[in-house]
Amino acid sequence: MPLDPVTLGILSHKFSAATDEMTLNLKRASRSVYVKEAADFGTGLVDLEGHIFAFPASTSVSAIERECGATIAAVPDLADGDVIITNDPYRSRGLATHLPDLHIVQPYFHDGRIIAYGWCFIHFMDMGGRVPASISPSNSEIFQEGLIVPPCKIVKRGRIDQEILAIIAANCRTPHQNVADIKAMLGALGTGRKRIADIIGQHGIAEFEAARQEVQDYAAAKARAVLRRIPDGVYDFWDYMDDDLVTGIPVRFRVRMTVKDGEIEVDTSGTDPQVRAAFNLPTHGFRHPWLAVRLTQFMLTYDRSLPLNYGMYRHIKAVNPPGTVLNAEFPDAVGVRHSSAHRYNDALSGAMMKACPDLMPAPTSGVIVPIVLAELDERGGRNVTVVEPLVGGRGACHGLDGTDARDNSAANLSNHPVETIEAEIGAMIRRYDVRCDSGGPGEWRGGVGQIVAIEILRDNSMLLARGMDRMRFIAWGYDGGAPSAPLRLIVNQGRPDEREYGKIDELLLKAGDTVTFLSPGGGGYGDPYRRAPEAVERDVRLGFVSREAAARDYGVVIAEDGTVDAAATAARRDRRMAATQPDGFDFGPERRAWEAVFDDATMLELNRRLGRLPKPQRQPLRRRIFDAVAPELGARARIRFADAFADTDAARRRLADAMKAILPPEAA
Amino acid sequence: MSASAASRGPGCRIGIDVGGTFTDFVLADLRTGALTRYKEASVPSDPSLSVKRGLPALLARAGAKPEDVELIVHGTTLLVNAIIQRRGAKVGLVVCEGHRGLLEIGRGRLANTYDLKITKEEPLVPRNLILETKARIRADGSIVTRPEPGEIAAIAARFRAEGVESVTVVLLHAYAHPAMEREVAAELRRHMPDIPVSESAQIWPERREFERSLVAIMNAYVQPIMDSYLTRLTERVASLGISAPIYITASNGGTLSVDTTRDRPIETILSGPASGVVAAMRAAAGHGRIITVDMGGTSADVAVTLGTEPEYTTLTHVGDFPLVLPVVNVSAIGAGGGSIVWVDPQGVLKVGPRSAGADPGPACYGRGGQDATITDCYLAVGLIDPDQFLGGRMRLDRAAAEAALARIAGRAGFTGPDAVLRVAEAALRVATALMSTELYKSLAQRGMDPQGFSLMAFGGAGPTHSTLLAAEARLETVIIPAAPATFCAMGAILADVKRDYVRSEHLELAHGPAALARLKTIFAELAQQGHCWITREGDLLGKPEFVASCDMRYAGQAFDLSVAVPEALRLAPDATELAELFHKAHERTYGFRDPDSAIEITTERVRVVGRIPPIALPAVRRDLAGPPVAAASRRVYHEGRMLDVPVFDRATLGAAQPVVGPAIVEQDDCTSWVAPGWAGALDEIGNLVLRAEHDGAGTTKRDAHEVALA
Repeated sequence: MPLDPVTLGILSHKFSAATDEMTLNLKRASRSVYVKEAADFGTGLVDLEGHIFAFPASTSVSAIERECGATIAAVPDLADGDVIITNDPYRSRGLATHLPDLHIVQPYFHDGRIIAYGWCFIHFMDMGGRVPASISPSNSEIFQEGLIVPPCKIVKRGRIDQEILAIIAANCRTPHQNVADIKAMLGALGTGRKRIADIIGQHGIAEFEAARQEVQDYAAAKARAVLRRIPDGVYDFWDYMDDDLVTGIPVRFRVRMTVKDGEIEVDTSGTDPQVRAAFNLPTHGFRHPWLAVRLTQFMLTYDRSLPLNYGMYRHIKAVNPPGTVLNAEFPDAVGVRHSSAHRYNDALSGAMMKACPDLMPAPTSGVIVPIVLAELDERGGRNVTVVEPLVGGRGACHGLDGTDARDNSAANLSNHPVETIEAEIGAMIRRYDVRCDSGGPGEWRGGVGQIVAIEILRDNSMLLARGMDRMRFIAWGYDGGAPSAPLRLIVNQGRPDEREYGKIDELLLKAGDTVTFLSPGGGGYGDPYRRAPEAVERDVRLGFVSREAAARDYGVVIAEDGTVDAAATAARRDRRMAATQPDGFDFGPERRAWEAVFDDATMLELNRRLGRLPKPQRQPLRRRIFDAVAPELGARARIRFADAFADTDAARRRLADAMKAILPPEAA
Repeated sequence: MSASAASRGPGCRIGIDVGGTFTDFVLADLRTGALTRYKEASVPSDPSLSVKRGLPALLARAGAKPEDVELIVHGTTLLVNAIIQRRGAKVGLVVCEGHRGLLEIGRGRLANTYDLKITKEEPLVPRNLILETKARIRADGSIVTRPEPGEIAAIAARFRAEGVESVTVVLLHAYAHPAMEREVAAELRRHMPDIPVSESAQIWPERREFERSLVAIMNAYVQPIMDSYLTRLTERVASLGISAPIYITASNGGTLSVDTTRDRPIETILSGPASGVVAAMRAAAGHGRIITVDMGGTSADVAVTLGTEPEYTTLTHVGDFPLVLPVVNVSAIGAGGGSIVWVDPQGVLKVGPRSAGADPGPACYGRGGQDATITDCYLAVGLIDPDQFLGGRMRLDRAAAEAALARIAGRAGFTGPDAVLRVAEAALRVATALMSTELYKSLAQRGMDPQGFSLMAFGGAGPTHSTLLAAEARLETVIIPAAPATFCAMGAILADVKRDYVRSEHLELAHGPAALARLKTIFAELAQQGHCWITREGDLLGKPEFVASCDMRYAGQAFDLSVAVPEALRLAPDATELAELFHKAHERTYGFRDPDSAIEITTERVRVVGRIPPIALPAVRRDLAGPPVAAASRRVYHEGRMLDVPVFDRATLGAAQPVVGPAIVEQDDCTSWVAPGWAGALDEIGNLVLRAEHDGAGTTKRDAHEVALA
């Protein structure tokens, strides 16, 4: 029964409001800081195929096209009052993406048959495993990452299965909170059930069932209209994670986006193989929600009235072949899969920027680093606290500077008031400020990053900082815009014992040490020499750009009194304009040095040939090849690629020789 | 108030609410019990001018003399607009070294997670006017470093060179240990005696440096605007021969003297909606749990009262900025009369979020607005009379409304001779669904379900939309107060004098007698501060009352719950009783208690209240019996049918005279729509109380009152 458009609009709104109510109730009742501070949870209403037909406007949008089908199919004989639970990325076929995310699905009945499902998940504080909070990049198998709960009934005909609850509680470090959070989720699904019954009471089951499908058709039509703004064509782009923490070898994410009349295909072929660390994304080769995050943001930026549901993705297709880090295979560890997804989406950003440069911003800083301090307490135990979540700035886009020192792109985290943190830890936060000169220069400037400096006041304090990246492969600039400054970690900056670190897992510190994190800004857009001098003057006045950088990067000379020296500026700008004007993408020196040796064609060839080998052989052989070019890579020594590969030709010869010697010959 | 007025016995009280379009006046004559209302066009550039113009007309209408006035209570939205439009003072800020990013970083979040072009708010103090001092203390108050010699003088010189008009000092941990902050501020004052210097802990001593600094910064930012406004206002009122004291409505539903308002204008910033809720509490006393809906030209605001107190929140926003002062919890639920009706490319009819506002306003205002709005829909379906809008002072253009609706009807799939009627009614359905779902969300946020609440509707459009909204939201009772369109002005004269005091001292109940002794001391100190203040707020007030509460949590929780502390516990805190109060509150809000968990108190609060002697709300006539006589009839298009609807004049209705829907109740400045399926009557104080009528099956009777078709 096709609905009239007024009723369709009203029901679309009511569905989404029901999920907003589910969200609000879940958020109120949850004990997890991931829910309270990072909004790392989701709720939705699901149709009979397992697709989300309603999703709240108020949470993160990276989960809209979750597939509940495999989870539902795994638990037959669902009765009214049953609820399925799972955190298993493999058996749920990617509904769960790592073990701390516990999902529940409840069938909603009307007149004795299932007419919809409610779904929600929460990122739990801890699901057991090798390390507190369950996630560590150095895990290599999922068994190290905590308790695996395959899809099964946690509630049977309205009664909670106390045995399953006891098993979960017994296997994690935060049993109280976990049990409370499971109840919070059940409460949210109860709200959804009630609202669905209300809607059916007001509109009738026929209108409800028609709308369940038609809101998806409606979303598909609206989404297509937005996607048509991307011109037809084939767009290749790639971006890198600095390394996988186990080795120093970069991980490349390669996408090919093909666009035809608002139909999008994103092909990840050529992306590097799975790593022996927890960065693998369990997509099962599907068009996983995380593979469309940037496209989702794009659609919602340009049509705010788009209903959030599975229909949005009808015109987006993914080719996501086996063997890559974007297609984890059991039992690959997956805990830190978001790092891969972020960088993949930056690569997708680049492809979209090639297609529609006026509509896409340059990338954000690309890092979120929860700075965790573990201090010894009086009893010899460790007092573990998240000091601040370090984020950077956002990328600039055509006509708009990037946001300074705040970034919503991945998690939109709340920080911690310094007063609250200092009441809980022995250390002092000496600086918490914007980082001057960290945004990519451009006609529109990339947003600047942050500085967080912590003075350690207790010996044997341990600092943990997961998620560090973009120390080498930085947020790129576009159309003459320059890249951002890299992430840096410096201990005792400005003192004789100053030392700089690369990515760390843990860092042991003594009283009196000061740890300074400098987060990257976002990429710049457009030629900085075209930036309005008044805008540069303001940047200098506010401390986002230094006087030196104003002259060097922008050609704007700021006089002693803080105003623009117009004559000197004109002279300086004319000189540069006459020479070379930059255009296209600026990836920074380290990527340039890397790609002079490890170019696209060779890397595609390498991955293609590795892909033919049994999985256990791929990473060892791959590492041997890179070690043959530069032994520092495997050993994670701190090198600059620009130095290590100064003799490009020699390095390329070593690479060719190594591939010939190490890879098995291909049959003719 | 002046001694002469006090000696004369009761006189008149006047409430004044300045809105965007109109300034509303209510005069309560305590000698006769009569209420007199008046509306004057607002003067946005100088709201005191409309006060000066309106007061003589009000007095004349009420038959009162200037010297009869014993109290004026005034509310204004001047300050919110000053912040939204960034029209405030040039403020300088002093922070601890290394923390100049305070306002840029804020609490780290942006408005959403998807917008590729998201921007953040422009700080009220640009970073170049944020200067650092070496002064630094630890969380326990111990001193790390003191200001360097000459440092403060240099800061003062810099501010002076920049032309800064007001300075705020925010040092870390000053909420608990204010001495260093006070010292820096004192030194600054010595170097720049002509520039006001405020201290964060003195304005609002709550933990969390960003939120605390915002209270102090916003206070400093709006101070000059409020100050000059109050000067003009007091002069203009005095020039009319009125010597009565003036009070200003506050965001916590109370009022403050002019002197206090000059010091602490931030306390009044969200006072407008709060006044409406105060009036609703009085008018709806005895009607149980109430949801108030204030629907005006640009938005509809919802609030909740569970009894004699409104519900408060300590987390709200002024423009882009969070505000942690306790305020009456009012949240927007979208559509107002000016919300624009449009059709998306897929042919789906939408309402809002864009609004035509007051200028150009709806198409029917005839001021050049081309977009159809909700008000145009009311007009098109016949709910409002184009000749009676605002008591006939503004004629509406029905043809313009219909033309605007005709432009969108086809795109939304409505054709034929009644396309305009059908699209208008469809748009009202969409708006109603939108408001209803927002209402549910808004209550879910408070941990409540709307079922069992009554809906009290006011504002210009509230009474027109109330039965539609209640039916959609499945609320059984609608209450429309006597003068819905001037309700906030009414709230102003009903409000008591109130101020909140706060302390953020972390106490653990498990620490036993020491923690309890500390709590007792804190409550006593806060009450003492409140007592000192209120005794200078005027001689009209009764004996001060103190209302204590604590923000509490289970150890390790990332959020607090506010727990009211009864008088006996305030004076003699008891761990078991406090714990039980918290467990109960937690159970009520989250559905469970955790008896094994330790309990922490994070924040202590005391509200001091000085009661204004109450006034009686006038009774309506009780001598009229039987069904009322319709003054006229009107055609209304409702649920696909044209109905012939009787129109009653509210002024002639007596208590208990039955009004049965479909019916329209007209009054001076607004129209109440009693949809089919609703019926009721005026109660003793003139509220129109309507109830949904059910047939035997429990569903609302919609067809029972079917009237002749067109």
